[in-house]
Amino acid sequence: MSTSVTKLAYYPGCAGATHAVDQEMSTKAVFEQLGIELIEMEDWNCCGAAEAEDPNMVYALNARNLVIAEKEGLNVATPCSICFYNLARTDKALKEDENLRKKMRDMDPSLDYKGTINAKHTLDILVNDVGLDEIGKKIKKKVAVKVAPYYGCYLERPSEIGFDNPERPELMDKIVELAGGTPIPFRQMRIRCCGGPLMMTRGDLAFEMSKRVLEAAKKEGADCIITACPLCHMMLDAKQPDIEEFFNITIGMPVLYFSQLLGLALGVEPKKLALNKNIVSTKEIEEKVI
Amino acid sequence: MSVNAWELDPEFKYKVASTPGGENIMRCFQCSTCTASCPIADIDSNYNPRKTIRMTLLGMKNKVLSSDEIWMCAICQMCTERCPQDVRISDVMGAIRQVAEKEAEKGNIDIKSVRPTFEKAFMHQIEKYGRSYEIGLTMEYYQKVHKGFVSAMMAMQKDYTKLGMRLFKKGKMPVTSVLPEKIKRTDEVKKIFKSIGD
Repeated sequence: MSTSVTKLAYYPGCAGATHAVDQEMSTKAVFEQLGIELIEMEDWNCCGAAEAEDPNMVYALNARNLVIAEKEGLNVATPCSICFYNLARTDKALKEDENLRKKMRDMDPSLDYKGTINAKHTLDILVNDVGLDEIGKKIKKKVAVKVAPYYGCYLERPSEIGFDNPERPELMDKIVELAGGTPIPFRQMRIRCCGGPLMMTRGDLAFEMSKRVLEAAKKEGADCIITACPLCHMMLDAKQPDIEEFFNITIGMPVLYFSQLLGLALGVEPKKLALNKNIVSTKEIEEKVI
Repeated sequence: MSVNAWELDPEFKYKVASTPGGENIMRCFQCSTCTASCPIADIDSNYNPRKTIRMTLLGMKNKVLSSDEIWMCAICQMCTERCPQDVRISDVMGAIRQVAEKEAEKGNIDIKSVRPTFEKAFMHQIEKYGRSYEIGLTMEYYQKVHKGFVSAMMAMQKDYTKLGMRLFKKGKMPVTSVLPEKIKRTDEVKKIFKSIGD
């Protein structure tokens, strides 16, 4: 299947288009190394994130996005877990339900999705479509670090939408091994929510949830955490100093996007992977690239 | 907790079941796998999705709709994934929140949580620009919660100065992010909002 992925409709999501510049840059660098063209979708709109409560709102917003990619005849790739969940559940619902398709079509012609494409997370595309063997041929360096693979939500559950094992996801572990690192067990924590959707309304709960993830990684001796979602990254990396201050603790745990880790193994310059933009210094990780 | 039969609304469960996301609520047989799996319940033992569902099925409408618990769900889908009855608890909670917002608009209940205010402010950005606009979102949300521009600015300064500086220094908040990223065909998105409502 590896040879068939050459061009994808890229959906950055609102975070990718703004503060998640590190994810954006590293994702683009990795796909460039693999010779896969990411073409940003023309005039894409927000997926509704975790704030659109009505499923019909999610379906309508993402029907518009899917139609934009469908017109180009390209499958959608997104590096954000929440965008993936909303795009993929819309794709599934519309493919299965003719009445829903009609409802969308009647709302506006721009929502007339025929269901000829699919929408996937970049992690799924890399491991399952491009394939580990194919990526393995292009690995140039060994990133000899112990990594806590943090999956959070949506990549693996709910399982009719997710693409990894819902109780013990493993695709990021495979990326770590391919890069020459060692994934730590990270048991139940790998699938625990970071609390991100509660940050603005119940910050106390969100901080407690992220603290537990960070402390578990530290306790198990990880050199860094990797994640595949800009909200998880915001909580664990950008807000890590706030969490330390709030609980009066010291953590100092680097948090990389999996695309940054993979990029290092593919021999991409750290700066091109925006590692200098991570809040918690990644210097010690970069020093272990051999 | 005592339950007064004359205060129960037998129609409430049907209302939730007919709200998008709430369809499967009546499948619940109270096994509590949801609560046992819930990361919020693990932190705050007052939070109990199993109980919220039971109260809904019993018809304890006002207690459920004005409770803080329905706004504490992080939508992480752990309960949905593990539920042996396919109740889809994350979605059911969302349906209950939708009912609560409608009842609050009618003045029938009071919502103490600030979350519906945040969600509305978030959706307003999408309606206006087609994308999320963080500064606009934060301004609108803080002004609503802190009731006025000056106190909103003071609260924002307190909450965001450190994070903002951190992001700015690392080049994660380019100057361009001060302005919204507006899509071209906002009319298409506005039409969605007009048809579905926020």
